[in-house]
Amino acid sequence: MSIRALWIITHEKGQSGTVRFSKRYPTVERRAKSLAGLQYVAVPEDSGILHPLLTELGLTDPDKPFSISRDDCSRPQRSPALELHLEGRGGGALWPVLAIVQGGLILACVPLVEAPPEPRPPLPSLASVSQGLSLLAGLQSFLCGAGGKLEGEALASRLALLPSVLVQVCPLGTPLDTPQVGSSATAMTYSPVGAQKQPAWKSGLHRGRAVVSVSLSEMVRSMQYGSRNRQDLWDVYGSVTCKCEVEGVLPNVTVTLSLPPNGSPLQDILVHPCVTSLDASILTASSVDESDGSAFSGPYKFPFSPPPEPFRLCSYTSQVPVPPILGLYQLKEEEGQLKVTVSLKLHESVRNSFEYCEAHLPFFNRGQLGNVDMKVSSGQLEVSREKTLLVWVLGQKFPKSREVTLGGTVSFVGQLTGPVDPLCTGLTAYIKLYFRVPDLTLSGCSVDQHSVQIYSTAKPRITTSRELVSAEYYIWNSTGDAPVSSGHMML
Amino acid sequence: MATTAASSWSQKISAFSLSPSQFLSSTTSECFLAELLHELRDDKASENTKILLLSALQEYPNVLCPSPMTTADGKELKSIISLLLEESYLLTPVFQAALLRELVEVVAMVQALSPAIFKSQLLRLFGTVEVTLLHATLLMKAIFTDSLFTTEDENFFIKRLVGMAQHPLLSNPQKLFYMDCILHFPENRPISCNGEESLPVLVTPRLATSLLPTVFNDSSTMLCRLRLLSLVYMEADEDDDKGVSYLFDHLMALHRIVDNHGTREMTVTFFRAAFTFLSYFYHSEKFISDLTGRLCELYSRHCYLAPNINNLVDRAQECLGESSWPIQLLKALQTRIVELPLPQLTLQSFSWHLKVLGRVAREGQVPQRNTLRFLLRVLINSSVCKAGGWQLGNAVLAVCRNLLLHPSLDQVFIELADLLQHMTHHYEETDIQDHARFYYTLLTNLSREKLSGVLAKGPDVGPAKVRSLSSIMAESDGLSSCLTIHQTKQSVLQLVKVQESRMHEALGEGKYMSLENEEVIKVYQEQFLSPGFGSEVILKCHLTQMEDLEELYHKLFSICLHFDLTDSNYDEVSDVTVPCLFKDRKPPVIQLKLKPRQPYPTCLRARAVFTTEDGMSWYTQLEDVSVAFPDIFLPLPVKLDWSQESKEQLFDQIWRCTCSEEPSQSATSLYCFELRDHSLCDLIEQNFHPYLISKDLKQDLYKVLFFLPPQYHVLLNITNAEDAVQVSIVTDNWKLLPYINSYLQNITSKIEKHAETTVDVPFCRIDDVPCEIQVK
Repeated sequence: MSIRALWIITHEKGQSGTVRFSKRYPTVERRAKSLAGLQYVAVPEDSGILHPLLTELGLTDPDKPFSISRDDCSRPQRSPALELHLEGRGGGALWPVLAIVQGGLILACVPLVEAPPEPRPPLPSLASVSQGLSLLAGLQSFLCGAGGKLEGEALASRLALLPSVLVQVCPLGTPLDTPQVGSSATAMTYSPVGAQKQPAWKSGLHRGRAVVSVSLSEMVRSMQYGSRNRQDLWDVYGSVTCKCEVEGVLPNVTVTLSLPPNGSPLQDILVHPCVTSLDASILTASSVDESDGSAFSGPYKFPFSPPPEPFRLCSYTSQVPVPPILGLYQLKEEEGQLKVTVSLKLHESVRNSFEYCEAHLPFFNRGQLGNVDMKVSSGQLEVSREKTLLVWVLGQKFPKSREVTLGGTVSFVGQLTGPVDPLCTGLTAYIKLYFRVPDLTLSGCSVDQHSVQIYSTAKPRITTSRELVSAEYYIWNSTGDAPVSSGHMML
Repeated sequence: MATTAASSWSQKISAFSLSPSQFLSSTTSECFLAELLHELRDDKASENTKILLLSALQEYPNVLCPSPMTTADGKELKSIISLLLEESYLLTPVFQAALLRELVEVVAMVQALSPAIFKSQLLRLFGTVEVTLLHATLLMKAIFTDSLFTTEDENFFIKRLVGMAQHPLLSNPQKLFYMDCILHFPENRPISCNGEESLPVLVTPRLATSLLPTVFNDSSTMLCRLRLLSLVYMEADEDDDKGVSYLFDHLMALHRIVDNHGTREMTVTFFRAAFTFLSYFYHSEKFISDLTGRLCELYSRHCYLAPNINNLVDRAQECLGESSWPIQLLKALQTRIVELPLPQLTLQSFSWHLKVLGRVAREGQVPQRNTLRFLLRVLINSSVCKAGGWQLGNAVLAVCRNLLLHPSLDQVFIELADLLQHMTHHYEETDIQDHARFYYTLLTNLSREKLSGVLAKGPDVGPAKVRSLSSIMAESDGLSSCLTIHQTKQSVLQLVKVQESRMHEALGEGKYMSLENEEVIKVYQEQFLSPGFGSEVILKCHLTQMEDLEELYHKLFSICLHFDLTDSNYDEVSDVTVPCLFKDRKPPVIQLKLKPRQPYPTCLRARAVFTTEDGMSWYTQLEDVSVAFPDIFLPLPVKLDWSQESKEQLFDQIWRCTCSEEPSQSATSLYCFELRDHSLCDLIEQNFHPYLISKDLKQDLYKVLFFLPPQYHVLLNITNAEDAVQVSIVTDNWKLLPYINSYLQNITSKIEKHAETTVDVPFCRIDDVPCEIQVK
């Protein structure tokens, strides 16, 4: 249960890529050699790993339309483990290589295979695979932070910290922990804890007033077609993030999520490992099994002993009865112009108070926007700088009628100078909605401040918050062909 | 009775070894062990049964005969494990997973511990977001099966996995891993247990719908889902092809994206998806022919996809053994291409079409006439020959090359010959012209076997060396190495002169022609009017391999010997070919035809080119072949039916003529030697037999004539005088005298040497005095 080598690579589009960090574990490599016997394939030098890895990820030779080593149609691409065909002396196939690609950043590692190499053992039979995945995910969040992208100097400074981080989380190639973003930055006071047992994932103790903040963030996604023969889709998923500054070595905290009466149950609940116990009924509801409309609808109790850094306590999905905004989008091609009609209706159950709400109307595979003759019943309409996108800024509120419309015509100048999209040809087009409603969840799920229980001496300060944010919220033109977005409704 | 008992035991043992814990759940290990031992003690049980029973004992000693552990030990161990489990939350998740794995192994090993000890952890583990912990739970499931996981648990677990494989908050690698886990899910009642990927029975089409691929998935997720769903629908009800239809529609959605100039990644994904779909549903005529049509449409709009399509065909052919789909697609593509109107062709698109046609030409089942007609039409009616350049020409030749190997070459022979000839004359690129001519020559001169032999060599050299620009054939340099002549390090062959036995045929019986005295010389000289008469000397040699050769050279084929002259006294010697030479067989005799201009001894340089068994050609130098003076001797060139008298008459007449001739050329000479105790007759017979014209044994008088091409004569009149043998010499070419002299010395010195060893009597030789040469 170890890893043999680890690489952090940056790769800009059209360039060859650079190994920014690499680490090898000679003791693990020795084990790999003795375990694999004659089938042993050594981990190559950094220069030898780059090209095969990029080839396997389809990132080499951007100018070549087809290359058999990169594009062979029979190449198995069905698991997170890649097989690298090494070049140069020795050659051979290095397997399994786990890789995570995020933007221009590639993280890769080779877990140790503790089984006879022939016949190739199934991936799930290798303990080191999940360890490698977990290590890579940890490194990813360490390097990129929660926000996602990290570039230039910020990345360089994080990379400079990696050696010391790896000594802690993966000494001698054996992963013990996942790197924590804050762990190396915020030093905590170390103090003797007496007879109490100190958890390995908690390096120090908090002193001072207990502060617990619980934030509930729910994302709603939707595909609306405005068509009779195609069912609209929407669902939500949410996560509860906590930050607990509580005294004591192993303080007990309980967070309870509750649903309104008749609320549909939370499904696919996944919990953080610090949760000490779970009730069976919490896990029963699943999105893959509709027959199970189980009667349980909360409250969902999560007793846990919090780690010092902010963490995601749990996540869920939910099927809500209505989409927050129901839209209709219609395009008609008329004498070289496009006639556009849009109507958006805010559901009455949704609080009419947005932080922001925008509808984006991109136009692909056409020229730039020329004459825009549009009227909106509410908000303002803007043309993006590239002149390929209409942004309808709806602001903080829908009007009293909860319905807004947009109508008019647009024409295009220049042939095919705008952005191209192979999906959106002809009248296939969409509106994408961006909005955030504070203090709301669509599932109705909430964390009551009073339901947070902390068994601690001092009186804690508890804050809770919730929000509803749009994610992949599409309204397709009802007069064009829209792509199938889920198999569910088709079968 | 015994047989039924045996068969029931074999069933029991196989059920036991399939899953010991499952088997023992219906009985106890003590009970089963007691039964086993009872049967082993039973005399009636067959040996086979006993071996079977012992194998079970041997394989699972700890399960059947738990090591004697006291109850106290067991209790202590149990409490330790419980404590470790209880406090495992103090560890980091990664380490918790490692600990779980260790504990699972301990519990599996110790019979006294029940897997139920993990029961309290199960819910927490099922609910975890940590991939390592869930992975450890899978291991637990695999090891304890239904002794820890009830059917409900199992059902729940697989549902959880399916849910996690598409959870919006998990990362892609994690989801892909969970899909892998679904395909290797350790079921309580597995149908097959070979560790291969298989779909768990519990993954029903209904459950799997949430994993249906859509165009919004990233490539790996989409392909992974497509594969999983293909497995699901392949096993589903055959009449209900809704699911397969969905997958096909999905494929067509990808098709549409590629058609609308999707990214390269999307294109690759589409072809991978098509391959995946094919590999599961290639037997479904409906979808497959639809796919053929769609691919053709796609190709005719975007012919730059030729390499992708060729790749798909190649792989489909490799993997779908019996399916005719690849051929179906190729035929359809061929039809599309050959029907293209010329104005629609650009140089670029033509080069893509050539790629496809080249691939089509590799298929023996596809008729090729249309391809050739199309190519000829394009070459004749378009500017390809002028503007195509080397690369396009080479692409056309690549198609031709495949056609040269095509089994129905005979049917398109004329078209192909036309095409190659057209290229030879009209393609404005010298290299292409040359190669077209070369192919034309191959086509028209080689047998089918040879043609395929020569051409097939190319690709098997392997993809390691890619130097396609320097080698025109088959985009590899294999053939060029096959056509190159390599030089041997050492001499491989040698020529050994045949020692001809001098016992020539006795003159046969029969009628001899007698000629009038005056006629003789006239008839004789008239013979020389016919060109080439008597101008050739044949030198016979054995061709053999040298000793101590590498095994490579033990079998040689198509040996061609070439000889170079070292002086101008001879005409060029023509090449000699030998079909084969095997080391362990009798060496073949080759005949060197020498045509002297002047009959002097000479030396020939020899070299050879040959082929070894591996198809390589070699060049080797041989030792020089020396042509000695006597090698050029010929008997009197007259017809066999000349009578003895006529020959003698001729001899006398030549003698007289030569002696009386003008002195510019001819010469007479005398050579003497001591005979010792040898018989002159023997000496004559040994050395001069074929040239002997007459012998008079009583007087010891012999007449010998050497004919030397082109038309020289050396006449010897040998008589035994009192103390020495006198050889009177007449020749019509005085320049031969030194050679005659050394020849005679050579013959006579043999007697001398022989005498020296056998006789002790001292002697004196009159020929110690250099013989007198009289030039008239």
